[in-house]
Amino acid sequence: MAEINYEYYVDIVTKRYFDGVDNYDLGKVLDCFHEDAVLTEVTSMTVHEGREAGIRAMFEGLFDAHSRIWHGNFVHTVDTEGEAICSQFSVEVTPKGQDNELRYENCNRFYLKDGKFTRVFVYMSGENLLK
Amino acid sequence: MQYQSSLDREGLIDLALNQYFGNVDKKELGAVLDCFHDNAMITVQTAFTTHDGKANIERMFVDFMGAWETIVHKDFTCTVDEKNGRITANFVAELVDAEGNTTVLHNTNFWRIRGDKFQEVYIYMSGENPLT
Repeated sequence: MAEINYEYYVDIVTKRYFDGVDNYDLGKVLDCFHEDAVLTEVTSMTVHEGREAGIRAMFEGLFDAHSRIWHGNFVHTVDTEGEAICSQFSVEVTPKGQDNELRYENCNRFYLKDGKFTRVFVYMSGENLLK
Repeated sequence: MQYQSSLDREGLIDLALNQYFGNVDKKELGAVLDCFHDNAMITVQTAFTTHDGKANIERMFVDFMGAWETIVHKDFTCTVDEKNGRITANFVAELVDAEGNTTVLHNTNFWRIRGDKFQEVYIYMSGENPLT
């Protein structure tokens, strides 16, 4: 398979994955993952295994718990040779039934195979939202 | 901010792993500080702690190197963006204090390079911040 270009990595993270998260589009989010993908929240060592099991359940919980989710201010480190992208970004979320906005400065490390996520590692600056 | 880097892929990896972490583990403070510009900044993002300028970075490393008997960084996985002068590494940090107690962290560093030195460093930690 030809090497996937730089733009692809930025697009899958911003225009597909985080756009899907921010718009509560679970199908769009899950389409970024391989079936046997694993997502680990490193700051609390919470592991979510499998696209249709642990990862789906994690996002259902995130969507159910928040009335607003926004990711932005991205800075990416893209390695086409290593099939990886590491992204720093800000997160704003509003818990359902509350007016207060929570702000995080997080990073994710995404490792891909054939254009989809196989392993994702999340570091959060505050309490883990991805339970 | 976007900076102009003069380092290629191998140069970025050498700066981060050998010149920086290699000398942190050897407690070679001068060689560690040589990796930074005078107005560089280190932010421990998971603790919202920032060390601004080489003097503050030096103070942080003096305290860090004094607080631990041995410091080992290992098991690196690097993500290298040569085009934009950025490198990320995740790694295991093993810190042993004078009583023999070991602290193990699974961290990720993001470095932004201007020329051939660090301009901005961001650290994301799996546990309590030892870089205070």
